[in-house]
Amino acid sequence: MKTNLSRQLLYLLIISAILFIFVLLFSFLVLVPSGKEYRIKRTAVKKQSLELRQLENFSFDVEQKLQKLKSDNRHITTAFDTKFNEKRFQKQYKTHFTSLELSKQDELEKEQGFSVYEVNTTSHISSPQSFYNFLDAVNKSDWIISINFPINFQREDQEIKSSFSMKVYSNSKDLNSTKS
Amino acid sequence: MKYSYISAKNKSVITKEFKLLFTFFGVTFFMLFMTYMFLIYKDYSFDQDSIYISNAKIELRKKIKDMQSDIAFVEKQNLFSEGVFTNNSVLKDSITNLFDLVPNRITLSQAKLLENGLILYGITPNEDVYNFMLAAPLRSIFHRSYSSFYPAQNGWLKFVSTNYIDKEDEVTRREDLPNED
Repeated sequence: MKTNLSRQLLYLLIISAILFIFVLLFSFLVLVPSGKEYRIKRTAVKKQSLELRQLENFSFDVEQKLQKLKSDNRHITTAFDTKFNEKRFQKQYKTHFTSLELSKQDELEKEQGFSVYEVNTTSHISSPQSFYNFLDAVNKSDWIISINFPINFQREDQEIKSSFSMKVYSNSKDLNSTKS
Repeated sequence: MKYSYISAKNKSVITKEFKLLFTFFGVTFFMLFMTYMFLIYKDYSFDQDSIYISNAKIELRKKIKDMQSDIAFVEKQNLFSEGVFTNNSVLKDSITNLFDLVPNRITLSQAKLLENGLILYGITPNEDVYNFMLAAPLRSIFHRSYSSFYPAQNGWLKFVSTNYIDKEDEVTRREDLPNED
């Protein structure tokens, strides 16, 4: 059987075949691997985005908790940051005493990472009730103050002379040591 | 010499079939290359996203760690201050109880509150009043109570009452000692 193919048709067929082979090779050797890589990367990025979103939500929750804690304990956190001031203390609490004298502050060893200052106090009170009122008020003061033993009450005419020591706690200058 | 009235067309290498073929493959190549370009762009974009997400995650983790450290610090401050406030309240109750303990017939001149004890100085009409009205309740609170009396100018008795609370190990040691009787 004799096939009658013109030269032009033959060229056409050869070029078609070459182009077709190029398309096939390009598709299978370049596009398909790139497509696979694209799919893998897309999945990975989606997973990472999901993790990031979860982390963002968690961070938001932690931030909310921190803000709530800070606002609930604003008095305490501020009190720990406030440096003890003798004059201010006397001004605030002299109403509970007939006279109130504070001695020099001594820095003691840190307690649980907090700086501790000891202040000795000598005062005169008209009745024990004044001292009770002072103890109630000291818990709401601008500083974190602990009243310590020994406490001495001595009758002096119509008044009671009281002497006691107070420990004033504040954040350490090196905050990291307080935080740890 | 002419055989036909129709003039011969110039034959070109690019025939209609070739044009059709090139158009078809041209469109195909265009689409393939565009797809390839899209993949390359997305690949680059995913790499950038991945780097951004990784950095964001590192920063967020650091931020969370800092905030958790702050939370722990505020909780520590809160717990510590609660302890201090409770101590002050307990101290107030102790002093209130001490002054409530002293009967009207006995007058105190001095009271020393120690960490593990109490020393009272005062004046009592007689020893019995002291023993029944003050020494008995003191003995029920403290582990060791000592009293001494000396006469006052008005015929009453001045007294010094020293009271101590032993630590638990001291109490155990005392109980372990053989009875002298």
